[in-house]
Amino acid sequence: MTPPVLGFAGLTHLGLVSAVCAAEKGFEVIGFDASGNTQPVSEPDLDRLRTKNAKRLRLTARTQDLSACDVIYVAPDVPTDDAGRSDLAPIDALLEQVFAAARPDAVIVVLSQVPPGFTRRKQRPGRLLYYQVETLIFGRAVERALQPERYIVGCADPAQPLPPGYRAFLEAHGCPILPMRYESAELAKISINMFLVSSVSTANTLAELCERIGADWSEISPALKLDRRIGPHAYLAPGLGIAGGNLERDLATVCRFADELGTDAGVVRAWLANSRHRRDWALRTLHRELLSRHGEPVIAVLGLAYKQDTHSTKNSPSLALLAHLHDFELRVYDPVVTAAASAHPRSHGARSALEACEGADALVVMTPWKQFAALDPAEAARRMRGRLLLDPYGVLDAVRCRDAGFTYYTLGVGA
Amino acid sequence: MIVHAHREPREPVRVVVLGARGFIGSALMTRLVGAHLRCLAVSSTEVDLTLPEAPERLARLLNPGDAVVMLSALTPDKGRDLATVMNNLAMMRHLCAALEKKPCAHLVYFSSDAVYSFASGLVNEETPACPQDLYGAMHHTRELMAKSLAGTPLLILRPTLVYGEKDTHNAYGPNRFRRAAEKDGRIQLFGGGEEMRDHIHVDDVAELALRCLRHRSTGTLNLATGRSTSFHDVARILAKRFSRPVEIASAPRASPITHRHYDVTNLIKAFPGYRFRSLEDGNG
Repeated sequence: MTPPVLGFAGLTHLGLVSAVCAAEKGFEVIGFDASGNTQPVSEPDLDRLRTKNAKRLRLTARTQDLSACDVIYVAPDVPTDDAGRSDLAPIDALLEQVFAAARPDAVIVVLSQVPPGFTRRKQRPGRLLYYQVETLIFGRAVERALQPERYIVGCADPAQPLPPGYRAFLEAHGCPILPMRYESAELAKISINMFLVSSVSTANTLAELCERIGADWSEISPALKLDRRIGPHAYLAPGLGIAGGNLERDLATVCRFADELGTDAGVVRAWLANSRHRRDWALRTLHRELLSRHGEPVIAVLGLAYKQDTHSTKNSPSLALLAHLHDFELRVYDPVVTAAASAHPRSHGARSALEACEGADALVVMTPWKQFAALDPAEAARRMRGRLLLDPYGVLDAVRCRDAGFTYYTLGVGA
Repeated sequence: MIVHAHREPREPVRVVVLGARGFIGSALMTRLVGAHLRCLAVSSTEVDLTLPEAPERLARLLNPGDAVVMLSALTPDKGRDLATVMNNLAMMRHLCAALEKKPCAHLVYFSSDAVYSFASGLVNEETPACPQDLYGAMHHTRELMAKSLAGTPLLILRPTLVYGEKDTHNAYGPNRFRRAAEKDGRIQLFGGGEEMRDHIHVDDVAELALRCLRHRSTGTLNLATGRSTSFHDVARILAKRFSRPVEIASAPRASPITHRHYDVTNLIKAFPGYRFRSLEDGNG
């Protein structure tokens, strides 16, 4: 069988990564975006693979070019508002364009994150429409696209076999394929995220207790991962609440459906409240240890992105912190995001982590970029005025930090 | 959570304090006068808010640019019965009637943390109000009455246990402990005094209220320090301040142990760097 030609419509984060990885798997790929451009996306290995597979990856701004495709993924990032509600208008419009341009025998696959019921509403007679769960992780998107754990495919009728071209592409990844009805697949995506949030929320709840009770969460979590009911890959690292936008979208979707349909979402609202509470850990600690004691403190902040290896600042705990530090002088450094993103009236954009430390009373590591681990605490201490260090994610070595004279705070451990 | 209408503080045209002779009212008046603000102190002598003629009398005192601080209330030591509740509600009804005649620029209503139940150990402004007694229910009702005043910028302040030398209420806590230590050389706790509570000094309450007035803040804010202390530790801190020995005694507990802690993140966000008096500092 001739390998299918793949199309990817909407070249934002999800669409671009998926298109590049499909080309890496050896398929001919047409990437469509009406803007004619791709958005800047920072993901490990993405640029290298894009260059390597340039011959198999053709980008276009003309919808009619999609008529050459056997399988077309509709994959724009679906934007959300501050309450986590999706704006479906862009994907609605793009899907209409794809229906108009695709051949009648082409398979159209919705890859974007859509609420349950979306795909069936878009189904039309005579067309092959599917929904496929994406499990993109910011900072690990390429790895996840090349080596998926499984494919979850929403179908109009899961009893019918998948079209050969679509099946050939999925089988090229050597993982289980799970066809199910549209609504199950759409809810499966949300279900995965709900379990992740429940793990993180549980970890955050217990990590806070550790901080007060004299326990150390980093000693507890390995024991939990050896429990088969929890597992070695469980999300047990404490964090500053839920960020990034995608998990929040699913939490909002579950609450909305539960309210409409009369099911209980109390636990989801508790996760949201816990997330808001933990997001402000750094602010509360800074207030207690510095801001309420020092007249004119200078604070060094390392990291603006919502997590490492990404340019995304959506719901970033760092920006949330900076929004409440407008009265104070800041020195800011992030390897990818510029200081201007903080919109802080008194922030100085430093060129390195060490430069950010100059004259600071406190150092706060708000994004766990790997390169911050290379910061020498003794050198940082020499450049700083004060000795307060907040390292929520434990990027730095706690013992070396304390040896350098810092009062060191991290999530899940008392000072 | 509160929102500042004025990002940079501005002096209110005039502050009218209802209940100006009470424990918090006096401290607030002292702070306002100290800050050279134009103020009008109104106590029950000038306008008895329980009386039917109160709306008319109060309206005559008000100007359109006024910030009105409502502190008048019959506190639990004056009675916990239905009649007290109804009198308190009448006072609020009369204030609302006066403000309908003469709208003000800013209304600050002093409520109470009694609007929360003890089901939640950690309280913030998102904690649902769920009063467990008539006093809490009264304050929650008065909050809703204030909210019914369309178009009036409203701030609701919910102070936790307020202490200070001039407190007249003698409720279980620092004020009663200090007096007992002074008079009898003995502080009596219920059980071992294990209950954790947040105690805020009256001068902090006054200072935060002043800042809210200057920013014309609206919304709901708990007035608490974010640091809870057991009654036993409060007694120990107070006992240390006396040169003679003070006995800390235990009496049978009348009710189960409950704890209350405050998440004061919203207060920190509203007033970055605010420094509270500690129990050690505030009991001098």
